[in-house]
Amino acid sequence: MLRIDLASRVPVYEQVANGLRAELVSGKFSVGEKLPTVRTLAINLGVHHNTVAEAYRQLANEGWLELKRHRGATVVERDRPRAGPDTMERFTRPLGELVAKGLADGLSPSSLARAMIETARRLERKI
Amino acid sequence: MTMVHLVIAFTIGGIAILSALLFWFMPRLTRRDLYFAVTVAPAFRDEPEGRAILSRYRAELIFFSALALVAFVAGIAWLGVGFVSTGTFLQLVASFIAFYRARQRVLPYAVPPTTIREAELHDHNRIIPGGWMTASGPFILLAACAGYLWIRGGENPTPTDLDGHRLSVYLVSTAGILASLTLILYGLAHWVRPVHAGGDEGARELKFRKIVSALLLVNEYFITLQASWIMLVPRRGDLTIVVLLPLVLVFVLVAIVMLARLGQGGSRMPATVQTRIPSSSAPVGDRTPDRYWKLGVFYFNRDDSAVLIEKRFGLGYSLNFARPTAWIILLLLLMGPLIPILAHFSRFLPKLGVH
Repeated sequence: MLRIDLASRVPVYEQVANGLRAELVSGKFSVGEKLPTVRTLAINLGVHHNTVAEAYRQLANEGWLELKRHRGATVVERDRPRAGPDTMERFTRPLGELVAKGLADGLSPSSLARAMIETARRLERKI
Repeated sequence: MTMVHLVIAFTIGGIAILSALLFWFMPRLTRRDLYFAVTVAPAFRDEPEGRAILSRYRAELIFFSALALVAFVAGIAWLGVGFVSTGTFLQLVASFIAFYRARQRVLPYAVPPTTIREAELHDHNRIIPGGWMTASGPFILLAACAGYLWIRGGENPTPTDLDGHRLSVYLVSTAGILASLTLILYGLAHWVRPVHAGGDEGARELKFRKIVSALLLVNEYFITLQASWIMLVPRRGDLTIVVLLPLVLVFVLVAIVMLARLGQGGSRMPATVQTRIPSSSAPVGDRTPDRYWKLGVFYFNRDDSAVLIEKRFGLGYSLNFARPTAWIILLLLLMGPLIPILAHFSRFLPKLGVH
């Protein structure tokens, strides 16, 4: 299930890409499987098809998908990339915002740390 | 007054009464957070303001329907029995006025719908009931009919019905209506945005959509059989009216009862599993902002890729007029009544010196 929030500060195409990436990382789509067509996903989410197309292009650039005209998006085998110097920086900034939100909502630092470790371990097994 | 006039009056009167009844009960058949096509808090309809609006709407519905009836009777007395065909239209206008006034009263209580959107990524339910073979049945029947008339063309090159229309006019107008309905049938499988992507609400919506599709398919077969009858037995026009019109009434009645029991989007069906906790405190409605609904009935949203969306005040689906496909569907649907009218007027063109 993909869920987006139109009121979020994060652009819709990025939310779609993030949601699909989470599904791909967790192994809900196997290699060779097709994703819903751009039009179908745009209809289901009630957004413009260009928005979904942009998200698909982003995932294709990251190596998750192969896009072919009139044949949709297919999940492909992806090599695990080597993390660059700015990778951790790109990761910690949104993480900081998320942790701040969790703390503001009353979660304890230890429970947040536990949740992050468990999530990372669960996803790592599936990559 | 002949038997034919009686049957026409009975059918049109019956459809007008059904329409009035449907408008009477409609505020209770839509989703709880949609009231007179306005997104409201789910509890609003049970609050004193909500109940007062409903009472006033129903009083006005009776008043405007009575006015429509007076206009109808006066029209028949003044213009003759031909005016009988406007009965359903007058009732619809009366009901719409009552609805529109109620909507204006609800608008101050409008709340923004949730901004959360969901999509099922493994959606395997987008199929046409009965498959393409069943959906193409009406076209095959119509083509067989056309083939038969074409073969007989040598004996009688311009077969006409009792009104003097060429039968090919029926063929083209029926094909137009069928093409439009088939597009809607395809659209119900592929171009509808579900309000709920999964869970109990999603399952109920899916069931509602399948039933609407099945009714649409039955309607297509009914229209084809009716057109075939008119084309193949053109000299039995009276019998056609006496037999087919009451069937139309029965079909409309059955369709309304079936859909009313389900409620809009299956919202009145009993829940089979525990309903999920809403993802936000805002009402879900149909996940479309009110500003895109013109007069509460016409949906126009360029940012929405869906061609068909749930009606806000009715049972079934409405077109997103921002999508070109919606206009194609509408144009094909209008071919039904427009082509016979154009054919009728084209007979006068030579007299006017137009070639």
